[in-house]
Amino acid sequence: MFKLAIKNILFYKGRSITTSVLTFVSTMLFVVFVSMQDGSHNAMLENSLKIYTGAIEIYHKEYRDVGGNEYLIQDVKTIIDKLSQIDAIEAVSARYETYGLLSSKGQSAASMVAGIEPSKERVLSSLYAALREGEFLSDTSGNCLYMGAELVKKLRLKMGEELAFVGSASDNSFAADIFKLCGVFKTGSFEFDSSSSFISRSYFDKLMNGENKASYIPVKIKNLDEVDALNSKIVEVLNDEELESLTWKTLMKTLVEAMEVDNIFGYISLSLFFVVIFFVIMIYGFVNVSSRIKEFGVLRCIGLSKSNIFLLLFYEIFILSSAAIVLAAPLAASICYYYSINPIVIEGIAEMYKDYGIVSDEVPFDFNIFTISWNLGVIYVLNFLSVIYPYMYINSFKPIEASRHV
Amino acid sequence: MFKLLVKMAWKNSFLRLSRTLLVIMMIGVSMSMMLGIQGLYDGMTVNMIDKNKRSDSGDISIYAKEYRIEKDLKHTIKNAAQIKEQLQKREGIEAVVLRLRAEGLASTARKSTFTTINAIDLAEEESFGKFSAFLKEGELDLDKRGALVGIELAKTLKIRIGSKVIFSTQDVSGEINSIALKVTGIVQTTNIVLDKSAIFVQSKKLYTFLGVGADEATQIAIKSHDEKLYASLKETYPNLDVKSFLELQPMMKMMQEMMRIFNSITFFIVMSVVFIGILGVMYVSVLDRIREFGIMLGIGMHYKYIRLQIFLEALFVGFIGYASGAILGIILLVYLRDYGLDLSAFADAMQSFGYETTVHGTIKFSYFSTTFLAIMSASVLSVLIPLRKIKTLKPIEVIKAEK
Repeated sequence: MFKLAIKNILFYKGRSITTSVLTFVSTMLFVVFVSMQDGSHNAMLENSLKIYTGAIEIYHKEYRDVGGNEYLIQDVKTIIDKLSQIDAIEAVSARYETYGLLSSKGQSAASMVAGIEPSKERVLSSLYAALREGEFLSDTSGNCLYMGAELVKKLRLKMGEELAFVGSASDNSFAADIFKLCGVFKTGSFEFDSSSSFISRSYFDKLMNGENKASYIPVKIKNLDEVDALNSKIVEVLNDEELESLTWKTLMKTLVEAMEVDNIFGYISLSLFFVVIFFVIMIYGFVNVSSRIKEFGVLRCIGLSKSNIFLLLFYEIFILSSAAIVLAAPLAASICYYYSINPIVIEGIAEMYKDYGIVSDEVPFDFNIFTISWNLGVIYVLNFLSVIYPYMYINSFKPIEASRHV
Repeated sequence: MFKLLVKMAWKNSFLRLSRTLLVIMMIGVSMSMMLGIQGLYDGMTVNMIDKNKRSDSGDISIYAKEYRIEKDLKHTIKNAAQIKEQLQKREGIEAVVLRLRAEGLASTARKSTFTTINAIDLAEEESFGKFSAFLKEGELDLDKRGALVGIELAKTLKIRIGSKVIFSTQDVSGEINSIALKVTGIVQTTNIVLDKSAIFVQSKKLYTFLGVGADEATQIAIKSHDEKLYASLKETYPNLDVKSFLELQPMMKMMQEMMRIFNSITFFIVMSVVFIGILGVMYVSVLDRIREFGIMLGIGMHYKYIRLQIFLEALFVGFIGYASGAILGIILLVYLRDYGLDLSAFADAMQSFGYETTVHGTIKFSYFSTTFLAIMSASVLSVLIPLRKIKTLKPIEVIKAEK
């Protein structure tokens, strides 16, 4: 049957070439498109995680939903000690975040002011790597403020200049102090750079009455793929019903949802191509089969069963699809691999979409053998489906009737 | 003769019914899907642009020269009220509004975040951009301490209707001042910046709070469809910063451009594949009847009549495919326009990116006209190769040939 299928493929060249070419095009389109979509999503997530958000963050329950100083974590040291027992954790720290007004000589702006542990933060986030001017904080940097470049611009500050802070402390009392600009960072995230400033906790805790307290505890883990398992472990180790440990999937729910929406629209667009290509492959298959009704009638008359006929059609489409996929898969995979290492750069896209949290002009592809495999699987399935109607059409003829068909 | 050819072409189009129906289905399904996708994507962009214009920039906005670089109350348009009067007298201007805007900190008892406070006149905003259509919750009431907040800001501050918010900022003299507000409504403008950070309050109240003169404003937004107005305003107000919508929102321009490119590429690919489909069927259809054409040529029928008949066959199939696609497409587009695609399961993401949770499509005549031309052209082109085959036929040989 396999030999017969090959003979038929070679005999009906027009149909064979069209089917293979269309399968080749759809394979290339599908694999490259999914790779680009996944790659850009992964990059967005990685960039967001790298900048400031931890892979896991531990909160007092209600802090995120209700907020307020009564929902600050109260016994930070004990929690950090417990977490240090877990090997899979790379770094852990405690952040104290508040919002207040910062005023330079002539300007005022609202800002998130966060007390951080500078030495731990160097490992935990990309704040240190984002340094553009001056210096990063240290545990002894006192009232030094490390500020986003856009906020510095807004306040028209120069390095070393002083600015006033007005906010409220952890006991809801009025908190005010004079800080000094010591460092400027630029992460590329417009919103973050225009609204955030950092100060060493050793100084800030005294001002905010925040010793041994934290807004939350960010955790950096060694392997991001194990985030769910590790999160369960953290919950188990902490064993405190008042705390909640959340992974980046919950913390960045909006971003994850946005990617899902993007995927939906991507697949809607792609489905259009698939429907058209599916129809054309089916039409060519049908045209081919309908010109061979007599041949199929004779085959049935000499003893071939319906399943043999199906097998023949299946072999034909399998060989044609495989020929196209064997050519397309390595080519598409190479493109994905190349652009995963050398991302496409679209100049100005980060600036243009800064309000949407885009921080880089690079659009990297994702190279994942599993993804490529299921993409190829989908193409195979579509091609197999395209022979169902032609097969049903042949079976609508009785063998004798088919053998006399003109 | 022409009548006879039309009759023959019509009958021959359906000689192999299953085959013809498959082609019609292919054209119909792919065309309706393409129209649906085009309408949906265009609808998203059009809706976003429309709401951005209505909620903020209008078609043209005027600022003080330095304001967009340094958003400070020092850089207001000093004679804004006078300019507004002048603009209202000009022909081609549909509406003008003055806005005052200041950045600051909004705090509830538990949360704080950065915000932008906007002084608006509700009646003027209504005639400018149907502001009431942005209301998602509560009511449009800016009396006393009433304030409207952007939907994303409300989420950040965890505030509801009736919540109290303290807004602190620097007034025109440089002093830090605070004002207590009560949330009366939550609005979604789909302008991502406003939804994330805007508080809207009554114009008079904010002017007093900030100590800004009644004639001043940070922005004059103009609604007009007069294409020459932009150049004219630039000339009239050389000391002010006159900006068109697309200058203020280059991202929208890029989005529109990207959508146009995407739709063109999609259109080209789909029509190319449709062409291959019609070609295959027409080619086989001609080959099946090659003896028939040989006989027709043999009994003296001129080649041009056969050519016309085959063209008509292709056009019939193409047209029926187009008609079925247009009907399906209209149904799909009307549904998308009236009911939209409900993405409320992803509400947070949609709102944070400036989209409504239900995405509505749009219908343009050009979708149907360009598709009609493309399908008819594809149908005509698809018979050129089969026709060459007939042209080179030797009638006697074909008639003698075994079937």
